[in-house]
Amino acid sequence: MNRSIFSIVLIFIFLILSGGLFVVNEKDQAIIIQFGKPVGNIITDAGLKFKIPLIQTVIKFDKRILEWDGSANEIPTKDNKYIFIDAFARWKITDALQFYKSAKNEMLAQSRLDDIIDGAVRDEITNRNMDEIIRSTQRQMETSEEREEGDISAEDSGIQVSQGARLDILQSIKNNVASRLSDLKMGIEVVDVQLKRINYNQQVQAKLFNRMISEQNMIAEKYRGQGQGKKQEILGMQIQKSKEVRSQAYLEAQIIKGDADAKAVSIYAKAYNKSPEFYNFKKSLETYTKTLDSTTKVIMSTDGKYFKYLTK
Amino acid sequence: MAQKINFGDGEINIPELNTNKIGRFIFIAFIGIVLAGSFYTVGANENAVLTRLGKYSSTTMPGLHFKIPIIDRIEKVKVDYQYKLEFGFRTLKPGVKTKYSTRNFADESWMLTGDLKIADVRWVVQYKIKDAAEYLFNVKNVQNTIRDVSEATMRLMIGDRSFNEVIKSERSAVSDGARLHMQAILDGYKSGISIQMVQLQGVVPPEPVSDSFNEVNRAKQEQETAINEAKQEYNKRIYNIEGEAEKIINEARGYAIDRVNTAKGDVASFEKVLKAYKKAPQITKDRIYLETMEEVLSKIPSKVLVSSELENFLPMLNVNGGSK
Repeated sequence: MNRSIFSIVLIFIFLILSGGLFVVNEKDQAIIIQFGKPVGNIITDAGLKFKIPLIQTVIKFDKRILEWDGSANEIPTKDNKYIFIDAFARWKITDALQFYKSAKNEMLAQSRLDDIIDGAVRDEITNRNMDEIIRSTQRQMETSEEREEGDISAEDSGIQVSQGARLDILQSIKNNVASRLSDLKMGIEVVDVQLKRINYNQQVQAKLFNRMISEQNMIAEKYRGQGQGKKQEILGMQIQKSKEVRSQAYLEAQIIKGDADAKAVSIYAKAYNKSPEFYNFKKSLETYTKTLDSTTKVIMSTDGKYFKYLTK
Repeated sequence: MAQKINFGDGEINIPELNTNKIGRFIFIAFIGIVLAGSFYTVGANENAVLTRLGKYSSTTMPGLHFKIPIIDRIEKVKVDYQYKLEFGFRTLKPGVKTKYSTRNFADESWMLTGDLKIADVRWVVQYKIKDAAEYLFNVKNVQNTIRDVSEATMRLMIGDRSFNEVIKSERSAVSDGARLHMQAILDGYKSGISIQMVQLQGVVPPEPVSDSFNEVNRAKQEQETAINEAKQEYNKRIYNIEGEAEKIINEARGYAIDRVNTAKGDVASFEKVLKAYKKAPQITKDRIYLETMEEVLSKIPSKVLVSSELENFLPMLNVNGGSK
């Protein structure tokens, strides 16, 4: 009994030392190569595995989702805008045997993916308008709260109702990549493709900034103009108001004066009516004293009442 | 006879040995080493993922645990830790006065808005590892993946909103939307990540145009100043005018009183005289006449008296001569 246990232990030790036993962990999958050719099934579940020592070798591949990060490419859109698109993807090795045959290792696979994904992205972007790429829904945007009715807009016709299609574009790129990969029998599955960065090129960006600046300047000038306009309006109101107040006062004053004059007239008339003849006499005499002075020359006839005693 | 020793879940048969003292010593030392390597502690905010011969076995909670030496391996994962990723800026030294890197992260933070303008967006993503085994086994370089997903997601959110919206009203919609969208993508990868929060730190016009935006704010201030000045001027003037109006009216009232009283006075004196006159009309009339004539004629130095019997006197008179 001792002897048999001992021999099992010895075989174990021999297997470990010679490489007949190997561990595949959860992050990995493995294939077994014999004389340069893969044999047996792909080992995808983790655990302790056997192979024939010396003759067979093990190649491990990652089982996890892997990165792919493209570089930014300048691509024209359907409406002829040149934009830089920076995409990334996530992929995994779904068939280690095919992967081994076609790509050999991750590095080579990455460079194959560069071609495939860049191509798919380019195909899709050149077929889409800028709005579709940037936007993802048909949502109505509030473009400018500064704008009021009657304002002259800086943009020619404002924003059209654009058909956002970002998510469709991503799906379409992914489908495209997936079908190319299956055609090529790469043993790779694309998990996801996303557009990371979308940028204008330098010239367009500079133009855009200029446009934004001029738009802001326009808004600023509008505020200033409105301020000055409002100021003038208030000052005009002030002139109007002061004219109104003044003329109202004049009106009231004239009425008061007129009333008083009328009253005076009626007072005089009432009193003088008692003896118009005497009033005339008295008033006439009063006016003589006032109207005749040292500059007057008088030629008097002795016929006058005043000289009646002189001629007699 | 075989001795049985239990290690955690495992069981090892140790054959009875009849060796010498050195052999026994080696055996005891071996047992000691094995025991030392057979338990491990998991910290309060950690989970440990246990793999047996490479194969996932279990995830263990905080506390003291046993494992089979050599065969079992553990990997500790901080599950209760809030990880933080910064986009568009970097904190150099957190603290009371947090220091930020002055480097330019425009590549990361400038993005196109739905109306094809550029906004400078800075944000923070906080996440936790919700499943340690998924985190370890499903995605290579999880943190990079979160960064990529976050950038793509934020651009998706900003791209569907206008510049004005992202700068003002839509900020919370952007951060909520980004959190949900990121979570959906990362769940699709079975990454074991839970996005706790997406927080917008700042959404501003990019630096080359920021001056013009400040200019608008200044213009707004100027507008208000102009209006206030005008209102001030208005009030000042109007109070003045109202006083002036009062003055005009009061003057008129004074005139009225004066006019009426004068009339009354004139009339009173006339009536008195009339009363006296009526008592002796002819003599009074004559007296007044003569008195008046006296007064009038005494003021006039040049007088010509013409007899009624004289004819054609007028042509001889030098009317313009005066009394020089």
